[in-house]
Amino acid sequence: MKPTLILVGADKGGVGKTTLSRGLLDYFARKNVLTRAFDTENPRGSLRRFYPNITEVIDLANVAHQMKVLDTMETANVPVTIVDLKAGNLSYALDLFERIGVLEAGRNGLFNLGLVHVVGPSIASLDEIGEIAKYLQGVHYILARNSINETNFFEWDEATHRKYFAAIPKAQEINIPKLNEMAYEQVDLSGVTFKDFIDNRSADGANGKFSFVLRGYVRKWCNEIDAEMAHVQLLQEIISGGRSSSSAAA
Amino acid sequence: MASAPTVYIVASDQSRNGKTLLARLLADYLLLDGKDPFLIDTDAPEGPLRHFFPGRTALADFEKIQGRMKAFDTILAAPGRDYVVDLPQRHMLEFFIAVRELDFFAAAKAAGFRVIVFFIVDRATSSLRAARDVYGEKGIDLFVAVKNEYVGSAWPPGEGALVIPILPRDVALAISERRFSLRNFVLGDDQGLENDQRLALNSFMFAVLGSLNSLDTEISLAALRHGG
Repeated sequence: MKPTLILVGADKGGVGKTTLSRGLLDYFARKNVLTRAFDTENPRGSLRRFYPNITEVIDLANVAHQMKVLDTMETANVPVTIVDLKAGNLSYALDLFERIGVLEAGRNGLFNLGLVHVVGPSIASLDEIGEIAKYLQGVHYILARNSINETNFFEWDEATHRKYFAAIPKAQEINIPKLNEMAYEQVDLSGVTFKDFIDNRSADGANGKFSFVLRGYVRKWCNEIDAEMAHVQLLQEIISGGRSSSSAAA
Repeated sequence: MASAPTVYIVASDQSRNGKTLLARLLADYLLLDGKDPFLIDTDAPEGPLRHFFPGRTALADFEKIQGRMKAFDTILAAPGRDYVVDLPQRHMLEFFIAVRELDFFAAAKAAGFRVIVFFIVDRATSSLRAARDVYGEKGIDLFVAVKNEYVGSAWPPGEGALVIPILPRDVALAISERRFSLRNFVLGDDQGLENDQRLALNSFMFAVLGSLNSLDTEISLAALRHGG
């Protein structure tokens, strides 16, 4: 099956971009789909903290690092590659990918290409959509409204929203529901995946001794995310594809 | 009453109808029965129950996530004993929503608990509806409708219910003093009650403890009915 490259980006920091990347990796793990991830927040790499075994920290400006992502798309034998783009870097990254031929390769069908655009609760987010629209031909565009850290999301002006949104082919929207702050903090502090937190497993595989209540709220949140992801065509294709190829192998 | 460790939940959709009194009677009953109940008073910060059982009561403000953790995590972290949860009216709906969201009853069952809910059915018909809603919750091993005769109840007369009889006003006042221990009273310490007060409380305790005791049979029957 054709591999998929998913870019996760935002033009602003603090909108929950890395959380969404974690959410995606967790989602695929729950669906038994193998993933690998690249964290472009060089050299810190917060995604790597939660997924040390599958995450590599790279510098997008570095040509050798670019190759590391692209040249292995077909050989890695992992159906999904997720690239967590550094905050504030979205237009830059798309421009770069256009120049080095990644978007072209996606359009030509070498792999599926998705962009998850995380927007926070500000009206400026709509302008971001306008800025990046020109890159999105042949790309599965997923607009993620993130309410994880926010109680109130801004009211979208539907007319303005539609104007931007309609310009993008294959556009889909998901809402990332709010997770209780304390639960979120505990997962963060423990440095484990959401899935392991729910299963009460610490990073070293031992009994996590996590709170039943917090685990319950994380589980509920993950169920809500599953329901949102179920609407996204690109993700569903990956999951059904992953399943049929694994059963063929068996 | 129940031989397996049990989570007792005392609830009502109305306030001031004897919930804390019932929780107190339940705790004293369990203590007299040689059990070691731990109480969770979700009516923080007031915590009326704690006055009567200092040392075996946790205050948990159910509105806050910390309070939910205190209630549910405390119970699941130390199974093998009885818990009495006193649920004030203002937290009742939230409590059952959280129970459903977190699947608490299933976790309690997995930890070896039984779940018994006492629901005080008030005068209003809405209370009867609320009782039926709670009765429909999944995972409750025994639902006990409670009539407080002093308040009155919309519970149909023919259907089985636990009855809290009327106490003379002066006796009700006397036992609401923090220092007053119902358990010590049963064990022979009249704690300064007059003779007729003592008689009134005696028959009250006899009736209530008797009803609690007969729930044993009820539980066994329920278990038989469910094939357990």
